[in-house]
Amino acid sequence: MSSFLLDGFLWRAALGAGLLAAACGPVGCFILWRRLAYVGESVAHMGLLGAALGLLIGVHAVIGTAALAVVAALVMSRASDRTIPAGTFVGIIGHMGLALGFIVLSLLETVRADLLGYLFGDVLALTTADLFGIAAMGLGVLLGMALLWRPLLRNAVGGAIAAAEGKGSPLAQTAFLVLTALLVAFGLKVVGALLIVALLLIPPAAARPLARTPEGMALWATLIGAVSAPLGLLGAYAADAPAGPSMVLAAGALFALIHLADALLARLRPH
Amino acid sequence: MADTQIAERRPGILIAAEHLRFSAGRLVILDDVSLAIHRGEIVTLIGPNGSGKTSLLKVLLGLLRCRGTVTRQKGLKIGYVPQQFAPDLSLPITVNRFLDLFAGKAAGRAALARVGIDDATGERQLSALSGGEMARVLLARAIAAKPDLLVLDEPLAGVDIAGEAQLYQLIAELRDELSCGILLVSHDLHVVMGQSDRIICLNHHICCEGDAKSVVRDPAFIALFGSRSALALYPHHHDHTHGLSAAQGQQDHDHE
Repeated sequence: MSSFLLDGFLWRAALGAGLLAAACGPVGCFILWRRLAYVGESVAHMGLLGAALGLLIGVHAVIGTAALAVVAALVMSRASDRTIPAGTFVGIIGHMGLALGFIVLSLLETVRADLLGYLFGDVLALTTADLFGIAAMGLGVLLGMALLWRPLLRNAVGGAIAAAEGKGSPLAQTAFLVLTALLVAFGLKVVGALLIVALLLIPPAAARPLARTPEGMALWATLIGAVSAPLGLLGAYAADAPAGPSMVLAAGALFALIHLADALLARLRPH
Repeated sequence: MADTQIAERRPGILIAAEHLRFSAGRLVILDDVSLAIHRGEIVTLIGPNGSGKTSLLKVLLGLLRCRGTVTRQKGLKIGYVPQQFAPDLSLPITVNRFLDLFAGKAAGRAALARVGIDDATGERQLSALSGGEMARVLLARAIAAKPDLLVLDEPLAGVDIAGEAQLYQLIAELRDELSCGILLVSHDLHVVMGQSDRIICLNHHICCEGDAKSVVRDPAFIALFGSRSALALYPHHHDHTHGLSAAQGQQDHDHE
């Protein structure tokens, strides 16, 4: 255990993943409330294509991912049910992105070894520069969410009502998609394109029984996310397992624990 | 374009629609529908299921795009009660907080009191409400911000019978109090028609339009709802013809 505390890369991994998961909390709440998990997944898949194209033309993977994730998020948010169901459209776009991203990455001879890293993350390889990047992005996302909170919440509770009454704040909705895309971009190195949505989805879902207000749920989600990261790393270290997936498992374990405890308490409570 | 913008030219008109055409695939939902809602009037939209009532409301509210023009009075404040409303169960929010998102705290509490929602219910979770309670809360939310135009899409579905009469009475009072216009979709013909200033009967196109008395005598109304439902609207009329000729019978009574 002593070497766990001494290894610099583990500290960087714990801090980076913790910050990322914490920033995912409030955004993830809206993903849950507005049932956007599927959209988030497709955005993340398109992010993989962005990373691949970034490598192809020689820009940083984070920039490529962010750019394509933003575009994908904007396109998907315009999807309506008029010609084909929006969910089908979103799913098709996302999987096209995943397939094309995989093909482009395979064609780039030099990065063949990193394919797994793009899909499941490579959190132990986080550099100090990555850490600063994640911290800056995370703070930006949290600040943005605080500023957009009221219009976003209004939209999450009664989207059609707000739109009909001229309080739909489309600008806030667009900004929210951009923030989500940023999390996806920075999450690529931490948990990868296949698991980033787990960090958006599981901590808020775990937080639900603990909260009676939207803000309470966001705070708990932030906390649970921040705790899952080091918890997962600890588990990964003990079992010599891959780090990114272990953090997702840790979040899932917290989810199960909290919901189980909640169900038990509900039984014990006098009726 | 300029000569069609009725709502901007005439001061009493809150919202006006002209020549709306909307179709989903080959199915024509709205076929050349024009209407205007004035300040201080209750307009009730009736029509069978699938006749385009909700689509028409959505077009007026800007939630649905279609051919034709919709013009609104400048700065028109709308209060909307949708037919369906189900926030996600994963969103923890109390009734009071829900109203606070749309109007001031004091106005929200006052509106809840008027629709018969007590303080304890105000502190309950929105997702834990019954259908009738939710209908009351939605009405309270819509009136809390004192709108110029209330758009109510079957607002009292699930409310008990006693509450229904009270709330329709409240809606009529609000019209006078806020001097707002009210556009109402309802299937409670017997309750609603007596309080409506104007009734619009929609079956993809506007079949007939006018006050309750004239609409129930209209052949188009009778064809849609049957002569019995027309008679049921006026229980105090004595039906001497026993439905043999409903339209004729109604006319006779008017001469009494």
